[in-house]
Amino acid sequence: MNGGALDLLDDELARARAGERAALAVLVQAHQRAVYSLALRMLGTRDLAEDLTQDVFMQLNGNLTAIESNKHLGFWLRRVTTNRAIDQLRRRSRVQMTSLEDEQAFFSAEDDADPLLQRHLRDLLSDLSPPARAVLLLRYQEDLDPTDIAQMLDMPINTVKSHLKRSLETMREKTLGMQSARCEDSST
Amino acid sequence: MSQEIESRIRAALRPVAPSEDFSRKLLARVVADRPGRPKPRRLLSASARPLAWWLTASLAACLILAVGVRQHLEQQRVQQSGLEARRQVLEALRMTSQKLNLAYQAVKNQSTSLTDEESGV
Repeated sequence: MNGGALDLLDDELARARAGERAALAVLVQAHQRAVYSLALRMLGTRDLAEDLTQDVFMQLNGNLTAIESNKHLGFWLRRVTTNRAIDQLRRRSRVQMTSLEDEQAFFSAEDDADPLLQRHLRDLLSDLSPPARAVLLLRYQEDLDPTDIAQMLDMPINTVKSHLKRSLETMREKTLGMQSARCEDSST
Repeated sequence: MSQEIESRIRAALRPVAPSEDFSRKLLARVVADRPGRPKPRRLLSASARPLAWWLTASLAACLILAVGVRQHLEQQRVQQSGLEARRQVLEALRMTSQKLNLAYQAVKNQSTSLTDEESGV
């Protein structure tokens, strides 16, 4: 989002706080993709992600007056989404498997990379602990700095960094393992 | 290699859009909840809530006390009527005993005079 768009959304936020429905609709449309993607990749199924997205935006309705700017809104939405997802995952006894129907939901329209590798990376992501998963998503999906992630998740910066380091190492090792297995399969 | 895995993860984690149907429903739901729609007001303000609690507790205590007193009075009334009944039964027994004594005396006197008459003969 460029500066002009941000300014525009700041105006929309002010109007939404004043009770203008159209302005609120613009804000929801601007942020729903980020909230839904975080929820989907944290929770693993489309139904749960849709429920969480809806809950987060309904919660926003009650807190709109406390939001100062569009940047703050983005921060608030991501923080609420990840924290609620972590809570849900901790309550759940086991991670639900992604159904074939849901598998399609994980792909963005502009995906052109190796789908098998992407699937493998997302599987590895779902093997991570909820906080480590949240850290990785905020870093590589939302492109946030470790400092922002630490603030968002109420986590020491060193914990964020160690989560990132360990998760990357694990994913790199397992990805190399998968690629070598594929090479062997194709050569035989 | 680190950058390679990072770019692969970035590619795998590109944000995805929700379905249009969900997006439409979400918008309708969120917007319908606004704007500035007054939230359902509580009957009592936060400061009045402890007072209300005390009032409710006092009323409940008074009710319990009243029921207790009423039960105690009822019990006393039943006890009094029982004692009165006992007294009446005892009185009746005493009077019956008195009458029986009189009858016994009369029968005894009559039989004594009959015996005297027979011995005089």
